[in-house]
Amino acid sequence: MMAAAVQKGERRRYWLSLAALAIVLPLAIVVNSWESAVAWRERNVRTALVAERGAAQSYAGAQWQLTGLTRLAEGSADAILIVVEFEAAVDDPELVRKGACEVVLTDDKERRWLPAFIPARAVRQARPAAADKPRCGALLNAEKGNTIKMAESFTIPASATGLKVFLTVAAARPAYLIFK
Amino acid sequence: MSADQRLTLRRRLFAFLIAGVGAATAAVVSFAMTVYEAANPKVVPVVAPGQPIDTGRWIITIHEARSGSIPPTGTKPLVPKKLLMVEFDLNNRSASTSNVFLRLFTIDPPVANLPPPVLYLARDKWIASGVNPDMPERMIAVWEWPSAAPLPQQVRLRITSQIHKRRDNLYGAPGWFDRDPVAVVAVAVAPEATGTAQ
Amino acid sequence: MTGALRGFVAIAFAAAVLYGLQRTTPGYGDITSPIRVTGKPGQRVEASAFSIVTGKVHLARSVTIRSAGRGQALTTSGVWVLVEGTAEARSESLGLTSAQWLGPNGVRYALSQRLSTAPGILPAQRLEPGLPKPVLMAFEVPQGQLSGGTLLVARSAWTPLEEEVGITMTDIRPDDIRPFLVLARSEGAVPWTLNAQ
Repeated sequence: MMAAAVQKGERRRYWLSLAALAIVLPLAIVVNSWESAVAWRERNVRTALVAERGAAQSYAGAQWQLTGLTRLAEGSADAILIVVEFEAAVDDPELVRKGACEVVLTDDKERRWLPAFIPARAVRQARPAAADKPRCGALLNAEKGNTIKMAESFTIPASATGLKVFLTVAAARPAYLIFK
Repeated sequence: MSADQRLTLRRRLFAFLIAGVGAATAAVVSFAMTVYEAANPKVVPVVAPGQPIDTGRWIITIHEARSGSIPPTGTKPLVPKKLLMVEFDLNNRSASTSNVFLRLFTIDPPVANLPPPVLYLARDKWIASGVNPDMPERMIAVWEWPSAAPLPQQVRLRITSQIHKRRDNLYGAPGWFDRDPVAVVAVAVAPEATGTAQ
Repeated sequence: MTGALRGFVAIAFAAAVLYGLQRTTPGYGDITSPIRVTGKPGQRVEASAFSIVTGKVHLARSVTIRSAGRGQALTTSGVWVLVEGTAEARSESLGLTSAQWLGPNGVRYALSQRLSTAPGILPAQRLEPGLPKPVLMAFEVPQGQLSGGTLLVARSAWTPLEEEVGITMTDIRPDDIRPFLVLARSEGAVPWTLNAQ
């Protein structure tokens, strides 16, 4: 009779352990990937700050302003060049210097165009001042009180509509800046 | 009850003893093998130049060595340099194009302050990029000899080998791994034909 | 008797199953290998991030790059395969840095670095969404690996589970191998010209 009671206790423990697995396994997955999930969520830009043309917007420790948006012919029939010039008046150099800034041009079909590494010849001919300005990597040398002028150029199809310029600085994610 | 307990105790002790003997034997055998290998190192065979050497990933045939001041590109460098050039054939025996041939062979004994060699494709007379499988190429390895040391009359090249593992020890991924040197080739260094300085 | 026999059969069966599992487990290289999207030459093949169409394939024993009046003839112990194509990014700007020729025997021939400064060569091109761009790919392949080869194009050669486009190059005839091919820069829509001589 004692043997039967021992067996019943064992069976109960067996099934309880199996049921506990259903809780412990998801918990293990969550605990192991918590940091990665938090980092992924932070990288995803969600909060938009809009900088209207002519007005300065505070973002990532600096006042940002769009100073020029130019369309240029590229040479072929179906592509155009867009030159985006903007400036940042630095208030907090530490935040601005965190680096990893990204400027992206998007359209209403949610296609993303990344800027060119060096400005094309057409940019240098039409807007030489913009071709001389550094890309947004110049933020790494930010000093308080300086105004850093930057320019980025994009090659996009001429048929793209609904263009928006997005700017993100690594320190200020998930907020991002839209130039209109 | 106590007789039963003593029986299980003796069984456990017996099991420990057997396991202990096994572990001790393994440790002793491993130690003895290490000592034996250290005392009798494997002799690396000396191969004559012109013989193909199978190193696993490459089949190398060392042809000749020469010294000079003009690299295989043909343009004289601005600063005069002493160059040791070794010409060899390289045949890629792996399943993909490879450009990992910088440490194929080293000069033995090692020379102080010697920078790593630059490998040129003899066909192009330009720096080699990648060698395709089953397409042997003639290459020239160029060492810039330090100005303090004189250029040698004979150079011994120690050629390393590699093996291919389908599953490595870390990720189980396929790869090529360095192994022991497989041959030593002694080549005489021909001095530069056109007699410019050194 | 039957008890011991049953135990023995059970162990043998388990050993056979385990052996089969060990032999058929794919290695890490196979699990993380690129995901292939297959297509035919001349047809637009769409991966999720880019799309590519192959055009004319040139075969030659030697290629001469003509730049600034000079020309350097590049010979090879096999055959030069120059594949013209048009590539386009689909949703974000990118560059396709990896192209390989997979021979029928399973050997991979990477893009030839000797032509890395040629106009329109694939790894140097920045592909923008909405703007198809002419691209050129150059391989050195032994003559026996020409027919039945597969062109593999991907964004990167080492990223695990990267998407790659595999185009089986049918219709490659060794009779088409020209002795000389001249590659020159051009100012038109296609930045190169290829002429056999």
